[in-house]
Amino acid sequence: MRRGSWPELVGTKVSAVLQLKNVHKAFAGVPALAGVDAALMDNSYVSLLGPSGSGKTTLLRVIAGFEQPDGGEILFAGRRIDGVPPHERGIGFVFQNFALFPHLSVAQNIAFGLENRAVAPVTDAKAVAARVRDMIGLVGLTGLEDRAVTQISGGQKQRVALARTLVTEPSMVLLDEPLGALDANLRTRMRGELRTIRERCGVTFLHVTGSESEALAMGDTVLVLDRGRIAQATDAGTLYSRPASADVARFLNCYNIFSGAVSGDVFESPVGRLALGGVRQASGRPAYAIRYDRVAIRPRDAAAAGDEVRIEASFVASEYSGAAINSFFTLDDGRVFEVETHLSHAAPEAFEEKARYALVWKREDALVFV
Amino acid sequence: MTMAATSHDTPVETAAPSTRRQPDRTYWLLAPGVLWMLLFLVAPILMMVYVSFWTQTTFKIEPTLTLKSWITFFSSDTYLGALWTTVRIWLIVLVSTLLVGYPAALFVGLFVKNKTLSTALLVLCVIPFWTSFLIRVLAWRPMLGKEGAINMILMKLGIVTQPIEVLLFSELSVIIGMTQIYCVFMVGPIAFMLGRIDPSVIEAAQDLGASFWRIFRTIILPLSMPGVVVGAIFVSVMVLGEFATSAALSGRKVNLLGNIIVTQVGSLKWAFAAVAGVVLTILMGAVVAALLRVVDLRKEL
Repeated sequence: MRRGSWPELVGTKVSAVLQLKNVHKAFAGVPALAGVDAALMDNSYVSLLGPSGSGKTTLLRVIAGFEQPDGGEILFAGRRIDGVPPHERGIGFVFQNFALFPHLSVAQNIAFGLENRAVAPVTDAKAVAARVRDMIGLVGLTGLEDRAVTQISGGQKQRVALARTLVTEPSMVLLDEPLGALDANLRTRMRGELRTIRERCGVTFLHVTGSESEALAMGDTVLVLDRGRIAQATDAGTLYSRPASADVARFLNCYNIFSGAVSGDVFESPVGRLALGGVRQASGRPAYAIRYDRVAIRPRDAAAAGDEVRIEASFVASEYSGAAINSFFTLDDGRVFEVETHLSHAAPEAFEEKARYALVWKREDALVFV
Repeated sequence: MTMAATSHDTPVETAAPSTRRQPDRTYWLLAPGVLWMLLFLVAPILMMVYVSFWTQTTFKIEPTLTLKSWITFFSSDTYLGALWTTVRIWLIVLVSTLLVGYPAALFVGLFVKNKTLSTALLVLCVIPFWTSFLIRVLAWRPMLGKEGAINMILMKLGIVTQPIEVLLFSELSVIIGMTQIYCVFMVGPIAFMLGRIDPSVIEAAQDLGASFWRIFRTIILPLSMPGVVVGAIFVSVMVLGEFATSAALSGRKVNLLGNIIVTQVGSLKWAFAAVAGVVLTILMGAVVAALLRVVDLRKEL
């Protein structure tokens, strides 16, 4: 459902809950956001992927209202909100470190927004208690209402932070690396929980993360932020198989990338001429990318078929990760080339260290940026 | 003082048996401190209590136990008046240091984002201590006096026609002086607690729709309470034991318990001085105990 509904939404701009138009922000002359354009669909899970320093936290803080943009427009539900103070925006913010009120209990933390907001506070204690109880049930914290927030686990704190925001019924929730402070096990479980909670509430979540696997797993739409600009905005499947540029491909952490130039139907790379056959994408900077799992490792004397590209490299080491094994090779120019072999149909092969092997892939599997 | 004595006693009692059972040498680290406190804090306090029951005559004091000094103290208007003045001035100074100190602490601890700058500002608060007490007293007199700076400015501006005489050698001048000296002891602990508040907690409250005043009341003030209590303890203990400021600025019009003790010791009335000392110690202990009940410091710090 989530993947399928995306293409229809692309055309219908009316359902965009948040629109960013050429948003700029610089700190002491250093640009953090250099013209961000994006439109976030209503009732969807959007992940914002960016390496550290790409401006993702700045973008989130600008949307929330904690920072003022230097230029550009932010439209939220059709209304311009740049200049509007945070508490009048109707946008919830979940902090990376949760930022719970340390002196209040779980229930008091969740009730805070309802009781204390400047606009339409809920003064009826019973109404507050009822809504807090519902929210505690929704995020699965029943039984912990009176616990101090200093006495609950990381995952529970995460839920309190989310519940505290959701109870105020924001039209959109911004999550700043919400899983970053949790251990790996819990992170995987909270991914599913966050999606379920979002579906129940029907609001848009904008989830900022530096982890490509998290961004791909969570988002109906994934925005890739690079050097203060949105480099790509698409669904996870498209992003993974068709990154818009070599930089985006690099963030995905699953592509071997060569720089060089296209001349005719070969790509002149530092490791030799690579025959072209696949799609060429305009991106401004020429590069050649081949996914780790599209490469086959063959003995050095094996010949390549007509539609294949072959390079040679020496084996360094391999890393076993359960369902797959990642092998690392050094190319002639000294760079590392990674190959991912799925183990579902084959036992792991043993390679000899420092021995040379042929690395082979189909021409049309490569992505060529021109 | 009482509090300090009891809190030093407890670890000694619990430490001694366990030293024998399991030879944990780390307890020896306590020995110099415990010895020092027993000799120079606990013993003198016990001695003071003992002396307060001695028999005092005009020229000598005898170790014959009597309640006479205590009865004299509690039936004399002078002594009870001094007790009341002490309590009154303590309360006023406590409130005024809080009123002057809290906003300053709020600025230094919360609104100055740069940690180096906020430390520098706190150091600035301590600058008055670079001058000696005598110099400060000398400075207050030309400031507050009948022909002092404040009166001259007010008269030049036409706000008053007669110089305000109550500014110097009155209870007001004592309060002004004490607030100035002790304010920094209020600012420090509060600024420290405010500095520990995670800025994102305040942003979270903003994001949830609370106005600044609400955030102050529901988040900032409760989280800074341990600082207020520690500051209040510092100020209380120092103001309750004060005698120098009132001697220098009140022109002997304001008599605090501290002044009574100084006078009695000066005229060798050791038993009276001891009674006043015991009363003062009990008062301080009660004040500190009451302040500690406001906030559970062990939990908060």
